[in-house]
Amino acid sequence: MKPVAVPTVFIVDDDSGMRQAVQDLVESVGLRAESFSTGEEFLKRQRTTDPGCLVLDVRLPQMSGLDFQRQLTEIGVQIPIIFITAHGDIPMSVRALKSGAVEFLTKPFRDQDLLDAIQQALQRDRAAREQQAEISALHARYEALTAREREVMALVVSDMLNKHIAAKIGASEATVKIHRGHVMEKMQAGSLIELVRMADKLKLSSNK
Amino acid sequence: MESDNEIGTEGDRTDAEARSALQVAGAERTNELAQAYEELKRAQAELQRRWQYLAEAQRLSHSGTFGWKVSSGELVWSDETYRILGFARETNPTLDLVFDRIHPDDRERMQQLRDRAAQNGMDLNVEHRILLPDGTVKYLQAVAHAGRDSFGNLEYMGVVTDMTDRKRADEERQALSRKLEESNARLEESQRVAHLGYWIWNLDTNRVVFSNETCRIYGINQQEDPIDLEAIRELIHPEDRGYVFENAERSVRDKVPIETEHRLIRPSGEIRIVYSRGALTKDAAGRPYEMFGTCQDITERKLSEQALRRSQFYLSEGERLAHIGSWASSDLGISLSEDLGLYWSDEVYKIFGLAPEKGPPRLEQFLAAIHPQDRASMAEAIKTMHEQRCGCDVTKRIVRPDGEIRYVRCVGIPVVEDGVFQGFRGTTIDVTAQELLTQELRREQAYLAEAQSLAHIGSWASNLETGEVHHRSDETARLHGFDPKEGLIPLERYFDTLHPDDKADVRSAIEDAVREGVDYDIQGFRICRADDGQIRFLRTVGHRNPAGESGEYFGVTMDITELKRAEEERERLRQLEADIAHINRVNMMGELAAALAHEIKQPIAAAITSASACLRWLGHVPPDVERACAAAARIEQEGNRAADIINSLRSFYKTGTPAERQWVDVKGTVREMSALLRTEAARYSVTIRTEFEVDPPHILVDRVQLQQVLMNLMLNAIEAMKDIGGELTIRSHVNPEGHLTVSINDTGVGLPAEGADLIFDPFHTTKPQGTGMGLTITRSIVESYGGRVWATANQGAGATFHFTLPTGAEAHA
Repeated sequence: MKPVAVPTVFIVDDDSGMRQAVQDLVESVGLRAESFSTGEEFLKRQRTTDPGCLVLDVRLPQMSGLDFQRQLTEIGVQIPIIFITAHGDIPMSVRALKSGAVEFLTKPFRDQDLLDAIQQALQRDRAAREQQAEISALHARYEALTAREREVMALVVSDMLNKHIAAKIGASEATVKIHRGHVMEKMQAGSLIELVRMADKLKLSSNK
Repeated sequence: MESDNEIGTEGDRTDAEARSALQVAGAERTNELAQAYEELKRAQAELQRRWQYLAEAQRLSHSGTFGWKVSSGELVWSDETYRILGFARETNPTLDLVFDRIHPDDRERMQQLRDRAAQNGMDLNVEHRILLPDGTVKYLQAVAHAGRDSFGNLEYMGVVTDMTDRKRADEERQALSRKLEESNARLEESQRVAHLGYWIWNLDTNRVVFSNETCRIYGINQQEDPIDLEAIRELIHPEDRGYVFENAERSVRDKVPIETEHRLIRPSGEIRIVYSRGALTKDAAGRPYEMFGTCQDITERKLSEQALRRSQFYLSEGERLAHIGSWASSDLGISLSEDLGLYWSDEVYKIFGLAPEKGPPRLEQFLAAIHPQDRASMAEAIKTMHEQRCGCDVTKRIVRPDGEIRYVRCVGIPVVEDGVFQGFRGTTIDVTAQELLTQELRREQAYLAEAQSLAHIGSWASNLETGEVHHRSDETARLHGFDPKEGLIPLERYFDTLHPDDKADVRSAIEDAVREGVDYDIQGFRICRADDGQIRFLRTVGHRNPAGESGEYFGVTMDITELKRAEEERERLRQLEADIAHINRVNMMGELAAALAHEIKQPIAAAITSASACLRWLGHVPPDVERACAAAARIEQEGNRAADIINSLRSFYKTGTPAERQWVDVKGTVREMSALLRTEAARYSVTIRTEFEVDPPHILVDRVQLQQVLMNLMLNAIEAMKDIGGELTIRSHVNPEGHLTVSINDTGVGLPAEGADLIFDPFHTTKPQGTGMGLTITRSIVESYGGRVWATANQGAGATFHFTLPTGAEAHA
């Protein structure tokens, strides 16, 4: 993961004229662009985890854009998608947006609309990547806790008092306090609320 | 006769010796006188006896003796001489008497002969005739020897013989022999005429004598010498040779007569039939040594027999085949008796199914054979015939003993000879077939009239020059609004019904045809019907009757009003179909609207986007002119692309454009259509594939029509797969007839289980929005090029539509 990586706008359209035009437009605003005639070609590129977004034509020869979107989700490629189509209808756009598309544009579109959508998509990608990075850090911290500390942390975030925790784990209240201090320190949590939020992000299920 | 003469001379000699012996005895031995006297008496007796013998002999031999002393003229005659000359014993013979008797024709000759004899004493041997007082002519032969008596006087002694009987016998023999010759000749002639010859087969030498006629029959030259049997065998027909000789050998062996009929082959090769009979001739010992036989040429007889048999056979066969029998009935008098006195030929029995052995039927039996419904009238007819002695011609039904019903025509005529009624003669004919045919004909005539009336076709025959009408069917009259019952309708009245606007044309067309003697066919002229004034369209066809006089025509006239209307209707429908074809194209455009929008939007969107990019490049500081230009170039490109698409589609909107034939590359057209429909196909997850032969031939068609065919079939294929997706494959090959075959294969729902054969019918559709004209139009286009379109179900899913189009110069509408 390279935090400094320049985001790329990937374009998949079977119509070469359209493909070139979109790529040219994206490049004219100083963004990187790469274009493919089919989704398959895009997947072959391997570096699908690079930051960026996907401008995807809905109607493609072998597999429609919507099916390709589902396929990407299934194989764990999370990339914001902007659909473009010459023949869009409402059900199709609803389905696309429900599946997480950033935008659904009908050809011909205003250049600014596409560029805005691309900006939005890149923004979303960035945010997603940041969130992903934060969760990864929390995981690392959590991994550093001892088993007793993870046990205590789970009970703490479930809003249990120290003495009850002590009773539950069969230790003294003082011992619980020490574990709790280690947890707060190791997880770099400034407050109980912060710790609770972290636990949420880690999706720790409280053991009530 | 000779021996008689000997006896006579011996008698004379004995007489002389006896006399001299008597002189010796008288002179020398008187004592022996008595003995001598005895002897003399014995001798006298002997002499007497001998005289008697002599006389008897003379009588028997019709020979008398005579003596003639020339000097004295004394004559001595024996008894027989008297008898021969016809003088009484008492007559004193003189020469005058003799010459009196001599036939006047011989008299002179005999007198000369007498005179000569008297002078020189020559021996005489003369034949002459005498004429007796009763007119009898006798032929005599006189033989005399001259001698001298004891005084030296010339004397003749002779014999006269009555030759009459011998002469007659001779004459008779001669006549007989002449007769024999004649009869032989006649026999020969009659053999020849009767073709009857004889033959004699010598059993010892095995050679055969042929009579002349036999030779002629065998066709060989007359043979002097007997012919070898083997040579005869060769002449007998090879097929008959065996039994002829077997018969002959058996005849000889069993000693029985032979009788054969056989063929022979003449050396000329001609075949003759002969009838031969033979019988053995036996010698005294009873041994057969030859066979005598006759041989008759019976060829002509055989042939005429055959001809007779054949003609008899033909007659009876003819009767049998024609189912004609003949009959006769005798004079029955006034009253009609039960016995008809009938004679029936075999065929009549056959017709009635009766046995000839039982003889002709009596009236009662005859009437019983008649069909009950015809019986009374038949009985009446017979009665009338006999009462009035008139002929009859009755067709009636008979019921055969086996129950079969036949129609029989009976024709009879009275026979009158020399004013006397002799009875009836007639024929009986089985006319069942004709009768049924006649009935059938009547029925068919009825049907024809009915058919004419239904079809509004009338038939007629007329002389168009003279205006004479020979025939017109009821329907002909009806067509012109005449009442068929009206009888003869003059030709002119038919012309009068002609519509004023068409009258001149029709008349001149017919007149021209008649003048040139050619057929005519005038279509769709109008008439005003005579009865209701309705205007009808007629067509009339006239054929000149080549056998007839000039102006003789026969033909039909038909009412084609409905046809005319139907034609108009058809024309209207054709126009409608053309309109629908146009609608189909427009509808197709409707169906395609979305796809076409996409297709046109694509370049437009690309152009707009490129324009945006271009502006942005120009907006850079400093402007990126190079990239702006590239973008502008793309704008131009996309604009042209959009224009091309619109151009290729525009032809679909045109109506009524006449087909414009040009050499079209099918492969290219299919590619265009595939491109055009690709997005429409992709919308339903249908992929389009083409599999072409390396170089499909170009075809001479209207490009737009080919596009329409392809688009219709491809849209149908896509339609069939729209819910499930699939693959549309277009293949082409050239079939054995040299036609280009294009197949459009889909993997869709396939042909409808029911009404698969209706898919090409107009207005047959399975689509809610379809006009049902797509495949109909497709078919009419393909067929207009002499091609064919059909659908087959696939082995797997879907259906395949095929169409063929002629390739090369053979393509024609």
